[in-house]
Amino acid sequence: MEKKQKRAENIEYIVGAEKKIQDIITDAEVMPILKGAVKAGASSAIIADAQNKNLWTCGSHPEGSFFTETLPVYLEGEAVGKLEVAGDSKDREYLRGLSGLLIDTIHMILHTNLKRMLTTETHTTVVNKSYEELLEINRKLSISESRYRELAENLEKKVQERTEELRRAHAGMLQQEKMAAIGQLAAGVAHEINNPLGFISSNINTFSKYVSRLKDMVAFYNASLGDSRVPESVRKSSRQKWDALKLDFISSDIEELIKQSLEGAERVKKIVSDLKGFSHIDEGTEAVIDINTEIDRTLNVLTHEIPEGTEIIKDYHPLPGFKCNPALLCQVFLNIILNAIQAKKLTLKLFISTGYNNSRIVIRFSDNGRGIPEEIRSRIFEPFYTTKDVGKGTGMGLTAAYETITGYGGTIEVESRTEEGATFTITLPVKRE
Amino acid sequence: MIEYDELEKRMVLKLVYYGPALSGKTTNLLRLHDLLERKGRGDLMVLDTKDDRTIFFDLLPFFLVAPSGLKIKLKVYTVPGQVRHDSTRKAVLQRADGVAFIADSQLSEASNNFESFSNLEKNLAIVGLDIEEIPLVIQFNKRDLPDIIPEEDIKRVWGPSGMPVLMASALEGWGVIETFRNLAELAYQHIDKRYELKENHGLDKETFVLKLTRRPDEAGNNTVKNSIRT
Ligand SMILES: Nc1nc2c(ncn2[C@@H]2O[C@H](COP(=O)(O)OP(=O)(O)OP(=O)(O)O)[C@@H](O)[C@H]2O)c(=O)[nH]1
Ligand SMILES: Nc1ncnc2c1ncn2[C@@H]1O[C@H](COP(=O)(O)OP(=O)(O)OP(=O)(O)O)[C@@H](O)[C@H]1O
Ligand SMILES: [Mg+2]
Ligand SMILES: [Mg+2]
Repeated sequence: MEKKQKRAENIEYIVGAEKKIQDIITDAEVMPILKGAVKAGASSAIIADAQNKNLWTCGSHPEGSFFTETLPVYLEGEAVGKLEVAGDSKDREYLRGLSGLLIDTIHMILHTNLKRMLTTETHTTVVNKSYEELLEINRKLSISESRYRELAENLEKKVQERTEELRRAHAGMLQQEKMAAIGQLAAGVAHEINNPLGFISSNINTFSKYVSRLKDMVAFYNASLGDSRVPESVRKSSRQKWDALKLDFISSDIEELIKQSLEGAERVKKIVSDLKGFSHIDEGTEAVIDINTEIDRTLNVLTHEIPEGTEIIKDYHPLPGFKCNPALLCQVFLNIILNAIQAKKLTLKLFISTGYNNSRIVIRFSDNGRGIPEEIRSRIFEPFYTTKDVGKGTGMGLTAAYETITGYGGTIEVESRTEEGATFTITLPVKRE
Repeated sequence: MIEYDELEKRMVLKLVYYGPALSGKTTNLLRLHDLLERKGRGDLMVLDTKDDRTIFFDLLPFFLVAPSGLKIKLKVYTVPGQVRHDSTRKAVLQRADGVAFIADSQLSEASNNFESFSNLEKNLAIVGLDIEEIPLVIQFNKRDLPDIIPEEDIKRVWGPSGMPVLMASALEGWGVIETFRNLAELAYQHIDKRYELKENHGLDKETFVLKLTRRPDEAGNNTVKNSIRT
């Protein structure tokens, strides 16, 4: 008992350590088999190791003409020794069969013994080692371990970051493509409208001049009617006709109509120019702009989207010029204002303020809509994140906004209380040149 | 290295297939056993399993002789992947000359792969092997299944580590020999550095690897194909 325990402690056991046949099979197991062979008619049966050293012998070598069958003994697939069965030459076939049987038996014993040994040895070491291991774990976790862990972890993280980057880049591209498309459309429309609009305005102006000449002429006729030489009947019928045609009202309304038409044309012109300005098809990519003007421009473009009864409260302060791609910035405002419109409850109250502080332009859009629940607040800037129905929202609005603003070194943040509205605050650093 | 006996001209090497439970380590060895030339290797020894899960280890031995007469025995082991057999894993890992890490490609297994790899790093340190030094190849197995990590992602994550990364389906039988070949190459280089296999024993890398990865009928493609199917 004591001896056994000691042995177990000293075992320097390695899975895979080489074993010899005699480590695996005992005399008690081999000898009966060899003896059996001799009993069955063989003169001798021997097992030798790879160096031809006899390990187990039974019987004696026959005299005279004899036959020896030699078969390799395999351990883990490797020939580690041999079995020699000798006997009378005339028994050749019988001896062959006998040795085949013998070697199979030996292999079977070797195999099962080896398996048993490996499992028990593994088991014993495993049990013995556990305690030492516990002691060592703290000590031996080497630098290389933590380094590799870091590497593996970082790589995982990097893949995620790259994927995110790619998604964002792709998102940005989509947005820019959209803007380019809008720009082209706007350019086309502006061109189409500007031409007819040009002759409408100039025609109305000419028309206005003609009308005033006609009015002069009518006034002249009216004055002439007062001449005593004009018969009373003509004067009377003229007055009747004048009244029937309501020329008093018309002559006073004519000017108003023309004035309104000219104003209308002027507004169309302004909208077209805003549309052009909004998509900035006339400018290169970068320009120094006044952000207050750009917000107003965006609101003008959105006139039709803004529901009736909406209250827009502006609190603009003078801002320094900001160098940027104006189309991108307008897109930011557009996306935020559209979101506010889409989040409205009964009527929309939109508060827009701008200011300049510590070399930063601060722009704030505050609405009184449904607000953004806490759970999703961190996700709204993610590409394709939307709570709108399929086909309604792309979930790209705020992503694009985030891209643009951070691209200019700025920040965009959201504060919100569910059911009480949301506030988006943008800050942009103004660089001195 | 398990053993090196200069007098007896004998060298015993150990390669270990490591990885999370059910990733296909045993299947890899079964495939090698089916696909490779019988001559020069022993039989696969499966050491006690429970419901097909490895409890101790599996062993597939190979033999070759260098021109100098040096007898090389290469023992390829699998470890049990299940978390609770950690001590056995350490015992098997001791003195290894190379490790093939068999990862399960299924998306659902990503964290198991990661944990098993950390476990490998930890155990290597415990048995006194330097992960920077030891030959190590990665196999992403089960490529035949749906819902697996895309190959590009794998390449991106593992590429920078410089370790060979191989795609495989042990079930269908492809990628298995390639993994073994890569591991054998690295193991050769590692051992050659210290024991000068080429200089002192006339054994070069190509021969070493070729002898280990020979198929029953290298020329006859049909035979190879058939043996994959069976
Ligand atoms: N589809 C598919 N299944 C595989 C593949 N390789 C292995 N499997 C299956 O996965 C299961 C586990 O395979 P094993 O080789 O026993 O796994 P192991 O890594 O040895 O597992 P442990 O011994 O528990 O560590 C078996 O059902 C295999 O048939 C593969 O490439 N594709
Ligand atoms: N002012 C707001 N009030 C309430 N929720 C908002 C507001 N602004 C954004 N959100 C929430 O953030 C989500 C993401 O907004 P984002 O502009 O990125 O995409 P979207 O509006 O859903 O889609 P798209 O802009 O293509 O129409 C919205 O679906 C909405 O749930
Ligand atoms: Mg939106
Ligand atoms: Mg197994």
